[in-house]
Amino acid sequence: MRIETCYFCSSRIYPGHGIQFVRNDCKIFKFCRSKCHAAFKKKKNPRKVKWTKAFRKTAGKELAVDPSFEFEKRRHVPVKYDRELWTKTVEAMKKVVDIQQRRQSHYVMQRLRKGRDVEIQADIRTVQRDLSLIRSPAAGLKERRAEEESIAEKVHESDVEMEIAHEEVTL
Amino acid sequence: MTYKRKRHHKEDNYRRRQWNKKPKTKDLDQIDDDMKEENAQKLIHQEIDFDKPGLAQHYCLHCARYFIDDRSLKEHFRTKAHKRRLKDLETEPYTIEESERAGGLGSFSVAKKRKVETQECNSILENKPKEQKMEN
Repeated sequence: MRIETCYFCSSRIYPGHGIQFVRNDCKIFKFCRSKCHAAFKKKKNPRKVKWTKAFRKTAGKELAVDPSFEFEKRRHVPVKYDRELWTKTVEAMKKVVDIQQRRQSHYVMQRLRKGRDVEIQADIRTVQRDLSLIRSPAAGLKERRAEEESIAEKVHESDVEMEIAHEEVTL
Repeated sequence: MTYKRKRHHKEDNYRRRQWNKKPKTKDLDQIDDDMKEENAQKLIHQEIDFDKPGLAQHYCLHCARYFIDDRSLKEHFRTKAHKRRLKDLETEPYTIEESERAGGLGSFSVAKKRKVETQECNSILENKPKEQKMEN
């Protein structure tokens, strides 16, 4: 007895569930429910249907490449029952699943964080662009002009002083 | 408990019956297998088969269809259906193995893209069936 994977959505198929289709070249397509079977009959591409695992992994929504995926395998080797080995493998499976889940959630959080950075940048840009709506650019214009004039006068005065000094030197 | 929907659109039932009558054609992954060099040559240069259209001499590899003569085959190459099929074949087809990899049985790799071109149509083929028809 085996837990199979669905051809369309890649979910688990437990014994007694789903339906299978055998193509005329002996390939067996297993489906977890009628939803997946109907989608297959309509010739839908699982990579383009948003709710499938194949879509989520091709679009980079979920962790796709990781050494923790290499533990689960179809081995096709009969193993004689050994109680110690059996308990050890069950414990190892639990640990592997734990690590896998942690890595997957970490991957998703990293992906979302990138979106947050982009959002902050966009916010800053809108504030800079539309700041004139909150504070008029003409606010405090008179004061600024008065300040500029006073600076210009100071410069003029210093220029006159310089000229006088220059004349004295030449004389 | 979920129940099966009782009501259907009237037209839908009619169309479903039409779909069921259609023979099942080759899937994209089967055609991908046919596109390998040795298989492609075998399919394009087939032996004479009286049950097939055009004695199985004019076969479109990518659409898995037989045509009655070279002219209709060439006309088919210009159709939208054929061009759409070429575009579909540009990405590697989805297989059972890929569905397993997506489910966590090994690492998942994104399907590669490649260039697919229409098969060459040689003029020798054009004359061949006519001669054989004369013999028959």
